[in-house]
Amino acid sequence: MAIHTLLFASLLIFSLIPSSREGNKGRLFSVLQNSLDVTVLEAGKDMVTIKWKLKSSGKVDADATFKTIQVKLCYAPISQVDRPWRKTHNELFKDKTCPHEIVSKPYDKTPQSLDWTVDLDIPTGTYFVRAYGIDGDGQEVAYGQSSDEGRTKNLFSVQAISGGHVSLDIASILFSVFSVVSLLVFFVKEKKKAKLEQRE
Amino acid sequence: MGDPTGEPGSSMHGVTGREQSFAFSVASPIVHTDKTAKFDLPVDTEHKATVFKLFSFSKPHMRTFHLSWISFSTCFVSTFAAAPLVPIIRENLNLTKQDIGNAGVASVSGSIFSRLVMGAVCDLLGPRYGCAFLVMLSAPTVFSMSFVSGAAGFITVRFMIGFCLATFVSCQYWMSTMFNSQIIGLVNGTAAGWGNMGGGITQLLMPVVYEIIRRAGASAFTAWRIAFFVPGWLHIIMGILVLTLGQDLPDGNRAALEKAGEVAKDKFGKIMWYAVTNYRTWIFVLLYGYSMGVELSTDNVIAEYFFDRFHLKLHTAGLIAACFGMANFFARPAGGWASDFSAKYFGMRGRLWTLWIIQTAGGLFCVWLGRANTLVTAVVAMVLFSLGAQAACGATFAIVPFVSRRALGIISGLTGAGGNFGSGLTQLLFFSTNQFTTEEGLTWMGVMIVGCTLPVAFIHFPQWGSMFLPPSKDPVKSTEEHYYASEWTEQEKQKNMHQGSLRFAENAKSEGGRRVRSAATPPDSTPNNV
Repeated sequence: MAIHTLLFASLLIFSLIPSSREGNKGRLFSVLQNSLDVTVLEAGKDMVTIKWKLKSSGKVDADATFKTIQVKLCYAPISQVDRPWRKTHNELFKDKTCPHEIVSKPYDKTPQSLDWTVDLDIPTGTYFVRAYGIDGDGQEVAYGQSSDEGRTKNLFSVQAISGGHVSLDIASILFSVFSVVSLLVFFVKEKKKAKLEQRE
Repeated sequence: MGDPTGEPGSSMHGVTGREQSFAFSVASPIVHTDKTAKFDLPVDTEHKATVFKLFSFSKPHMRTFHLSWISFSTCFVSTFAAAPLVPIIRENLNLTKQDIGNAGVASVSGSIFSRLVMGAVCDLLGPRYGCAFLVMLSAPTVFSMSFVSGAAGFITVRFMIGFCLATFVSCQYWMSTMFNSQIIGLVNGTAAGWGNMGGGITQLLMPVVYEIIRRAGASAFTAWRIAFFVPGWLHIIMGILVLTLGQDLPDGNRAALEKAGEVAKDKFGKIMWYAVTNYRTWIFVLLYGYSMGVELSTDNVIAEYFFDRFHLKLHTAGLIAACFGMANFFARPAGGWASDFSAKYFGMRGRLWTLWIIQTAGGLFCVWLGRANTLVTAVVAMVLFSLGAQAACGATFAIVPFVSRRALGIISGLTGAGGNFGSGLTQLLFFSTNQFTTEEGLTWMGVMIVGCTLPVAFIHFPQWGSMFLPPSKDPVKSTEEHYYASEWTEQEKQKNMHQGSLRFAENAKSEGGRRVRSAATPPDSTPNNV
């Protein structure tokens, strides 16, 4: 009972920490300006080259409020089917389209380029890249993405690692065999012992 | 209550939190203590312990208790080990919501069959080997998680691991060989509750193990596979401990051979008939599906739910999910105790109302959990839901022993299977499709709990009445003897096969409530202390 109360109490304390971070709820994706130009080029077996710059067709001082640029890897709609944990929401704090951060750096008004090696924990799927322009308060003010508005063009796919290793498979088989064999050895030994003792 | 000769069904006495004779020790004068036996605990003439000393490891009785509940708990750990790691596994194996839901259904379906077979296995090999065989032969299924590369493999492996939940049967069976039937209620209930705790322990254990392996340098998609080695090793360790430290009977292992043929076994077909034709059996199958069943379903979905809905870290979600399963430590026994307490004043009617109130409350808290929008409310609702569902499990098995004396074993088995079936059904309906989000699924599951608990009102005993109706006025039908003896044919009664049922009926008179208790105490009833 005491352990349970302790767990529950520490749980309440844990829970108070994240709830204080929900200050900027309600920020919508649809209010963001599409003022960034993002392009993605496949550059090797596990690398992509990402380029971003301010759109020349937009307002001259569209980037006045940018303090940070955050570039993220996002799921294309086809990779979101039947997977509600990747769902697109208009509220930015709820939106799960872009869970993987590629880079977050201070905003430099010049066009940028990055060669990014795809992380080992990126799942198999179809993706595009989105960049958010973030102001001094940590709020998103603008975005740009490598795909179109419907997120159907210029997509690229990633084939993930399986996570399996030969050494893992071997260890797995060894322990399984050990389990079965030691059981049978015990069983046979005890039966033999019982037979011997019965004869006495 | 119950009888010391070990007739079919007596091993299933309890599975409740506490039975009528709720006691840590046997105080009945009819149980003779064998003073010549040299055991650490006082024992009866069969050398079964008459005292339940929780924090002792004395050989063989308490040692058996601890080996037994820990083995059962280990199987819960491995059956639900995937659940808290689903956020990682779903990305590695490219799973859809349907795949995850189907795997959850598969994890609880296997044991419906394995539990039915396990009784026969224990009869053949004894509970010690039954437990060891199951635990050690299911270790390979746990290790085979490292080979899984897609949805089909994941579902198959979870199905195979689920078979090991049949250790529930070996656990209860083994307890009944070691503990006198007067205290078997509390012993079995504690063992069952603490075993179920494994479903909570795993929610915390697996994310922590995963985190450690990650920090040691493994990539995410490898780390979760390595993490599965931990429950696999637990299987092997527990199997070896059971084989080396355990024994089938208080006097040793080979005595089983000598005992064969001593007890006249009842016919399986007959027992099955009486179990299946008693309508109360089916109501309890349904009820348990919505107390134990929803507990198992929640074990499978709750960690992922907290991870996704409230943007928590994996081990934080695991900690919260663990609180759900760990509440079993006291919630299940508390449910049984509440049932016994209400029976003291209101008899069987009190037990039925207690069950209905607790299970319905659990359902309402489940609805609240689905509708909770902040983390704190969700956690509070989840904890209250866990108390309701698990206490309802205890309260269910506080009544099941009274449904039938002759067919108790099969009815308990059917009720247990109903739990797993209910779990598979709720996961299939609410958590495997795109029709409901997980929070909607939880809400509707809560509504279904409330609806499926209503049939408690239909459970009527002619000798004790029901929730709303009084006992029968007929002078013959309103006796306990008539109800329990009616399970035997005239020919069987002539052979005096029904004596156990008559003894049980005598002891069961206290279910009439206060008015019966105030009458002269029958000479061989146990005093209700504590």
